[in-house]
Amino acid sequence: MGFPYEEANWAVVDGAMFMGWGGSAPGFYTLIAAVICVGVLVVGHRSEAKKAKRFD
Amino acid sequence: MIVEDQITELTAQVAALKGSSGVTNTMFAETFYYLTIPLMMIIHAGFLAYEMGASRMKNVLSSGVKNILAFAFMIPTFYFFGWWVYWGFPTGIPGAAGPAGISGVEYANSIAKGWGESAQYMGPNISDQASGVFFGAFALFAATTASIMSGAVIERIQTVGFVILAVVLGSFAWVVAAAWGWHADGWLVTQWGLHDFGAAGLVHAVAGFFALGVLINLGPRIGKYNADGTANHIAGHNMPMTVVGLMLIIVGFFGFLMACVIVPGESWSWFADKPATIYGTPITLSALSFNILMAVAGGIIGAWIITKDPFWMMSGALAGIISTASGLDIYFPGLAFIIAFSAGILVAPAAKWLESRGIDDAVGAVTVHGTIGLYGVIMLGVFATGYPALQGEGVATISLVGQIIAAVVFFLLGFVPGYACSFILKMLGMLRVPEGAEIAGMDTVKVPAQGYPEGIPASAAPAE
Repeated sequence: MGFPYEEANWAVVDGAMFMGWGGSAPGFYTLIAAVICVGVLVVGHRSEAKKAKRFD
Repeated sequence: MIVEDQITELTAQVAALKGSSGVTNTMFAETFYYLTIPLMMIIHAGFLAYEMGASRMKNVLSSGVKNILAFAFMIPTFYFFGWWVYWGFPTGIPGAAGPAGISGVEYANSIAKGWGESAQYMGPNISDQASGVFFGAFALFAATTASIMSGAVIERIQTVGFVILAVVLGSFAWVVAAAWGWHADGWLVTQWGLHDFGAAGLVHAVAGFFALGVLINLGPRIGKYNADGTANHIAGHNMPMTVVGLMLIIVGFFGFLMACVIVPGESWSWFADKPATIYGTPITLSALSFNILMAVAGGIIGAWIITKDPFWMMSGALAGIISTASGLDIYFPGLAFIIAFSAGILVAPAAKWLESRGIDDAVGAVTVHGTIGLYGVIMLGVFATGYPALQGEGVATISLVGQIIAAVVFFLLGFVPGYACSFILKMLGMLRVPEGAEIAGMDTVKVPAQGYPEGIPASAAPAE
């Protein structure tokens, strides 16, 4: 991934400077992060419901 | 003649405006660092609550005394020699001057000694509005390292032995790591392209592995392990206090990371118009805001899915910040979240593994700060390869190899002094309290006060 500018020199940087800028990586990371949030809620709910059922 | 008068008047006005904006900028710069100091004090309030809550009732005050005393000894010892070590040895031993011209023993002698000519920069001076606030911020970094170790060793360490260890860690071991890896002349930076903006390695990992070295010599608390080697859980007396303490540490870390930024526009600034990291590479506070918040969230969520335990969830938040600290200036927020999430998942199992190896780390400090600190340093090498480590042309760039080498150096700078000093203290009988004292409780032995003189009774019945 690395430095998002052709020349490895901070003098050429005048805007975004994060890893993946200029490609599809930022969107990909955002998607993965969102999937994690949803996935954790699904798994967490299942686990909690299973435990709660024991007290039914 | 009239035009000439007007030009003269305008020139005078421009000079006055320039002078006025210069004063404003200097006051801003001084205030910026000054405010990081009380913010970082919140880290210590957090560690204090965290550690006391994790102690049993019979040890609660002695844990507090130990923590407070470490802070108190850290400040003067950092003033006596820690600050000098930081400026003296970035290029390594014997302390030659580096290319940026702000390092070496000669330079350190001129600005960081509390006596002779150099003392003008180590006390009140109307023409120096920077040295004191920089010293203060660094002294608080030092105190943070001591607090990290402090929680790991509760309920059985001798007070003076602990203070000696805290001084070795806070005013020497991490300072060497900072000189080598957190300075524009640091050899890990100039030769290997190390980037550790938020000190995941040089503060957290050094302190975490220093604690590991101490724990090996200190041994586990009585009752921690059964005869077959299995571990028992020794619950602290106040989990809510511990969890709130962890949250306070996170609040304080906003100040810690803010203090890692070099403000613009001063004679000592990297840039006239934009903030920089300690390496002279550009940064914004907005970058920190995006990434710290995403990292805290990722760490909590990762720890929750594995443990459902508020202690580990807040430790996961810390692990989230630490795992991304090296690159908080250049991570994309989504990536910071993912790395922090993975750290949150790792933290409790890694601590359990260490426990199963016979290491009684009462608060998981070795894992949260040590293991996750190194994880963060290496993760940056995975994602940020090719970034220039310094400003200018032809400088070293960040690489996985460079980050791994730095991780090994940080491990050694923590573990070796921690193990060696605690071994010497053990030989001198200054490391661990006698068995009878540990069973009686450290408060009964050491502290002329009671944490809960009336016990912790059930709540009174509510009014009708």
